[in-house]
Amino acid sequence: MPGKMVKESTHPLFVFTHWTNALAMLFLTISGLYIAFPIVGGLMGIARGTHFFWMFVLLINIIIRIIGMFTIKTCCEQGTREKDWDYKNWLPQKTNRHQMWPMVKYYLFFKKDYPITAKYAGLQKLAYWLSIVLTFAVAYTGFAIWGPTQDWWIFRIGNEIVGSLFGFGGGDGLMPMRLIHHWIMWFILIFTCIHGYLSLIYGTKACKMIFLYKED
Amino acid sequence: MGSEMTFYENLSQRGVSRRDFLKFCGSTAAVLGLSSTFVPTLASKIAGAAESGLTPAIWLSGGKCTGCLESTLQATYPNVADIVLDLLTLKYSAASMATGKYALDAKKKVYQGNKPFIMIYEGAIMEGENGSGYTMINADGTNSLDDLEAAASSDQCAAIIAMGQCAVDGGWVRAFPNPSGATGMSEYLSRRGIDVPVVNLAGCPASPEELTAVVVQALLLGSDGTLESGIAAVAADLDRLGRPKYLYNATIHDSCPRRGHFENGEFVYRYGSEEEAKNFCVYPMGCKGPQTYRRCPMIRWNDSQSWCVESGGVCIGCATWNWVDNNAPFAGRHRRVGAASSGPLAGWPLHGGGLHPIGTGAALTGVVAAALVAHGLGMKAAKRIGKNATLKTEEMKEYDAKRLKKQGGAN
Repeated sequence: MPGKMVKESTHPLFVFTHWTNALAMLFLTISGLYIAFPIVGGLMGIARGTHFFWMFVLLINIIIRIIGMFTIKTCCEQGTREKDWDYKNWLPQKTNRHQMWPMVKYYLFFKKDYPITAKYAGLQKLAYWLSIVLTFAVAYTGFAIWGPTQDWWIFRIGNEIVGSLFGFGGGDGLMPMRLIHHWIMWFILIFTCIHGYLSLIYGTKACKMIFLYKED
Repeated sequence: MGSEMTFYENLSQRGVSRRDFLKFCGSTAAVLGLSSTFVPTLASKIAGAAESGLTPAIWLSGGKCTGCLESTLQATYPNVADIVLDLLTLKYSAASMATGKYALDAKKKVYQGNKPFIMIYEGAIMEGENGSGYTMINADGTNSLDDLEAAASSDQCAAIIAMGQCAVDGGWVRAFPNPSGATGMSEYLSRRGIDVPVVNLAGCPASPEELTAVVVQALLLGSDGTLESGIAAVAADLDRLGRPKYLYNATIHDSCPRRGHFENGEFVYRYGSEEEAKNFCVYPMGCKGPQTYRRCPMIRWNDSQSWCVESGGVCIGCATWNWVDNNAPFAGRHRRVGAASSGPLAGWPLHGGGLHPIGTGAALTGVVAAALVAHGLGMKAAKRIGKNATLKTEEMKEYDAKRLKKQGGAN
């Protein structure tokens, strides 16, 4: 139950990175599904070009967002315009310590009142961290199956681990890695569904802020 | 000069002209990644080796379909590759010789003798029931595991050529649920503590050209012009999966003649269609060429006449590890939601089930979306959202309230 959305809760750079993330996810998902199975002919070159372009955009974007955490100040609590370093939003805060389980109970209808929380709730923090991990994981598995990079030592290690899991304890892991890449995409899509639902369920003020940088 | 004449006479007797031989040397040089200036060196090395005495070899078999042996021996007519392979004098072949006393003695003479030999091993090493349950039993009661153990442990064993994917990693024999306890050569030797160089020729089956290339490479690298010294040098310069680098350094997709159609998005979606007649790309039909490192488009099969994709089929990724489990169904773009046949993920969650990854992922996402809609309705019914919402934030954290209660304060 977010309180009033103030402009200090975010920053124009984060609005930009959020837009970029959303567009990159959209283009990567559509082009990736086409590459996985080209349901109609004629678009493979476009799909691959789109996929590679947005892959780099997504990766650079997430790095910019992470740098922004440490260089930009936003408000970290609800109902205030007082700002602090953004990274504090991503770490446990005094306001919502011990509040993860009550939040789970609340969303499962085992608790009536909305738990006290900072700007981000505990579950929300966890989900955002997970989104960063998933983004890096999808990028990693993508590079691990991409011809020009699959033999770089850092991706070869991954291929060898996957090869060990799926290939009699050794060998190459390109086919299973392709499937892991595919499955991470679905997890990101599931995350996006939940993220979209929770941001809209209490009204459009959070959306207006992150997409339009507008106070309700 | 006289000895060279003998070699070329030998060629001539088999209907191979000197020109054919030099052409073969040229194509082998290309497979090895050498320039055409190496052709005379190659020719003289092969001719020299043929005149200076043959290298003993034994061809042992484990769990296999004999496809690798067939592939090597079933030439439609005697070709140059046969002659190069004749540089190895095959003293014993488990699949093509009877296992009588004569054969057993011939085999023992090789690995108990004083001349280095090369072992070619075809098929998976089947350890189930101590090797007796699934393989040929010799007249003296020994089995293929005993043969392998004795030959590999011999001081004279210069190297083992693991011929075909079954020998490399267990291949299809090892596919789920692997009842015969099949395994690959390197894994088996390492477990048994036997230290012999192994050259993996991945693929199902391995091709005679690949074996020929290794033999010729060994001749080129051998310090004293012998195969046995050269094969150790070959084994010392393999890729991380124990294969000769030049044979497995490009994917099928990289040099596929249908690659242009892939880039243009011109695909075959159904056999018997107009697109198939136009030789369009078979990627949607399940081609595993993009993930498979092998040089089939360059080397081709059956005296370089054709190969899987050129003849209209798909690449089934036969040169990849655990290829059956990972790549089946061969006529599908993706492996079904299934399981590995060994290792920590064995048998999990379903083996070769009917769940397609795209369909399964979409269904899972759909279930989550439906659950969210239901949750939203629940939120509304609980008056947490909407015009009549009565939701309020708790006055104190549950944790703090409990602590306070413990300390005897107000609830």
